[in-house]
Amino acid sequence: MILTLTRRALMGTALAFGLAGAAAAQDFPDRAITLVIPFAAGGSTDVVGRIVADRMSQELGQQIVVQNVGGAGGSLGAQQVAKADADGYTILMGTVATHALNPLILKQKPYDPVADFAPVSLLVLVPNVLAVNPALPVNTVQELIDLAKKEPLAYASSGNGTPLHLSGELFKTMAGVDITHIPYKGSGPALTDVLGNQVPVIFDNLPSASSHISSGKLKALGVTTAERAPSFPDVPAIAETLPGYETYSWNALFAPAGTPPEVVETLASAAKTAMADPAVVARMAEFSAEIVASGPEELAEHVKAEMTKWEPVVVEANVSLD
Amino acid sequence: MDLLSNLAMGFSVASSIANLGFCLIGVILGTLIGVLPGIGATATIAMLLPITFQLEPVSSLIMLAGIYYGAQYGGSTTAILINMPGESSSAVTAIDGYQMARKGRAGTALATAAIGSFFAGSVATFLVALFAPPLTAVALQFGAAEYFSLMVLGLVMSVALAHGSVLKALAMVVLGLLLGIVGTDIYTGTPRFTMGITQFADGLNFVAVAIGVFGFAEILRNLEDEHEREVMTRNINRLFPSRQEFREMAGPILRGTGIGSVLGILPGGGAILASFASYTMEKKLSKTPEEFGKGALAGVAGPESANNAGAQTSFIPLLTLGIPANPVMALMIGAMIIQGIVPGPSVVTDQPQLFWGIIASMWIGNLMLVVLNLPLIGLWVKLLTVPYYVLFPIIMAMSAIGVYSVNGNPYDLFAVAFFGLLGYIMSKLRFEPAPLLLGFVLGPLLEENLRRAMILSRGDPTTFVTRPISAGLLVVSLIVLVLVFLPQIRKQRDEVFTESEG
Repeated sequence: MILTLTRRALMGTALAFGLAGAAAAQDFPDRAITLVIPFAAGGSTDVVGRIVADRMSQELGQQIVVQNVGGAGGSLGAQQVAKADADGYTILMGTVATHALNPLILKQKPYDPVADFAPVSLLVLVPNVLAVNPALPVNTVQELIDLAKKEPLAYASSGNGTPLHLSGELFKTMAGVDITHIPYKGSGPALTDVLGNQVPVIFDNLPSASSHISSGKLKALGVTTAERAPSFPDVPAIAETLPGYETYSWNALFAPAGTPPEVVETLASAAKTAMADPAVVARMAEFSAEIVASGPEELAEHVKAEMTKWEPVVVEANVSLD
Repeated sequence: MDLLSNLAMGFSVASSIANLGFCLIGVILGTLIGVLPGIGATATIAMLLPITFQLEPVSSLIMLAGIYYGAQYGGSTTAILINMPGESSSAVTAIDGYQMARKGRAGTALATAAIGSFFAGSVATFLVALFAPPLTAVALQFGAAEYFSLMVLGLVMSVALAHGSVLKALAMVVLGLLLGIVGTDIYTGTPRFTMGITQFADGLNFVAVAIGVFGFAEILRNLEDEHEREVMTRNINRLFPSRQEFREMAGPILRGTGIGSVLGILPGGGAILASFASYTMEKKLSKTPEEFGKGALAGVAGPESANNAGAQTSFIPLLTLGIPANPVMALMIGAMIIQGIVPGPSVVTDQPQLFWGIIASMWIGNLMLVVLNLPLIGLWVKLLTVPYYVLFPIIMAMSAIGVYSVNGNPYDLFAVAFFGLLGYIMSKLRFEPAPLLLGFVLGPLLEENLRRAMILSRGDPTTFVTRPISAGLLVVSLIVLVLVFLPQIRKQRDEVFTESEG
């Protein structure tokens, strides 16, 4: 009885909101929009978010205010948007962590990546890279695998349960080797220890490692995308040695579930225009990020595909967080 | 010479009217946010990031850097005047600076802090210019084992911070270590002591803890005894230090600059230790160690210099490796990337104007700060004459806003309230907050590096003594430990002897 009542009440509210939303959607946006970035300022997601927000503000004629809500691997920020009013004035810069890995890893689910969000646009794909300190006597992915079979090795990542950790775990499974995982608090300290040869191997985001690869302080063995990255055409894809290996980080815009479709469409088309801007294209190229700028349906498909892809890796690597 | 021409180029970039203007805006903003309790450089720089889009890369970085070291200057002002440290470095300044203020020497304490910071900042800037690349190579020698041993040294030194019972200081260090454990374990992902609250998954916020145990506890104590407070604000001595005081501060400033410069280079949390290490050293070297904790000039001069020197040299890993030493540096990297500059070893060669311009601007900025701050001291000190019933609600409101602005996390405010009460109880029982804070800061680093070193050595604990730097640091820790406990042991023995004689 209580259940029926609640459900009916909920439907009523949803209907009321829907109607109000439809009216408001006509002149969306008529005030500033908040873009929640679920990580600390200064990171790669933050940089992508700020560049896009700046250009989208011009497109929409309203300021997009960036708000960093870091913590719990992105879960706090995502949770905040999941619970926000479904009017399009609070949106999220989601990532592979918030919309595929965390929901698979966390035992307590603070939000549902599919049911709680209205997908807007998949903005960019960011390759990861497998790199080693130049002192390690290997030049190819195959040589690294051979070495790992002979002697114990360790690899650094930006933390437990991050896309980079799982890229490493997927690599271990597919190559049939055991390499000890050394988690750090973020990419910066992990890089420092690999540059200082405290740890020989690293899985990192290509943007954060790129300057060290160019300067020769790190030797890139392979990128994690299926194809080679346009910014580093000489670095092979890991898939050339291990067919089928593919991981990457991605950034996408999400609104709370129940946001009127017209509003979602307005946001998506503004994102598309922003990502086509030559200045933005140039920045993303420097950043080794591949522009997608998809529509809402493609993003919805993408989230489902990513969750299907990562589930066995998460199970295999036995990563779970409370 | 290459260096001279590079520096000349840097100064020509930094002394353009526009860049001088941005430098000035940066240091003024920095001083202001430093003075407002709790609002830190991180929050301010994050808020200003969008504005930097419109600026030249070098101008925006000069301004952001100015905010950062301006905040270091300003932060000591609140630590001295109202016992409200906004970051780990000024926590040490608060110990003796606030006691000086209570004795009516607030002006001297502030002037000492400003002069020490200026000297340290200038010297450290030259170090950055001269030795950035070779120093980076040294910093890279520090792996998990070395950081662990460094943190051990820091913890051993923390006991010397106490000016009362060593046992109570140890108890506070241990409590601090335990509080530092709160949050997600980075190796297993298990949440520890979070009481199921997701908002504590990343641990307790340092600013919240520091403002609670130092600032709010002090407010509670002052409210208990309004009378004492009024006495203190009435006697304010002259503002500028006397010749005698200048002589007293020279040694601590020089040593503090040395310690701060060295520790600031280490990206894994070395800078945090700088002011604590300097304080310990001054107390050990002092002819009157009993004055520490009761308003010793050296206890302000040394740590303030160390903290500012560390703030400058922590730019070294940023500029040469593109690796941030702290959250503010991470924001600077973000600012660079947004401007289309890829931070890393190539910045020096690809963007010499930017690199040398920033370095030159640091020196100019430090000069501006000292010129700005010395006359302002009179104004800050006058703040103390504001009736306390007006002042304390303002302080509490500003602190609350400041703490909230760090992460936008309401649970941080609960933490401030809790630690304010805890600090009050501690002060009633004569436990000191400084060792607790040091334990809180060092604990997580100690654990993280201990476990990482053990994983890397495959469970072999000899890694800490077979690696030369690590072994050296452990030997120094042992020496400090002996130095700390020897007087105690000797005293006890003397007491035993006296008793047996009697």
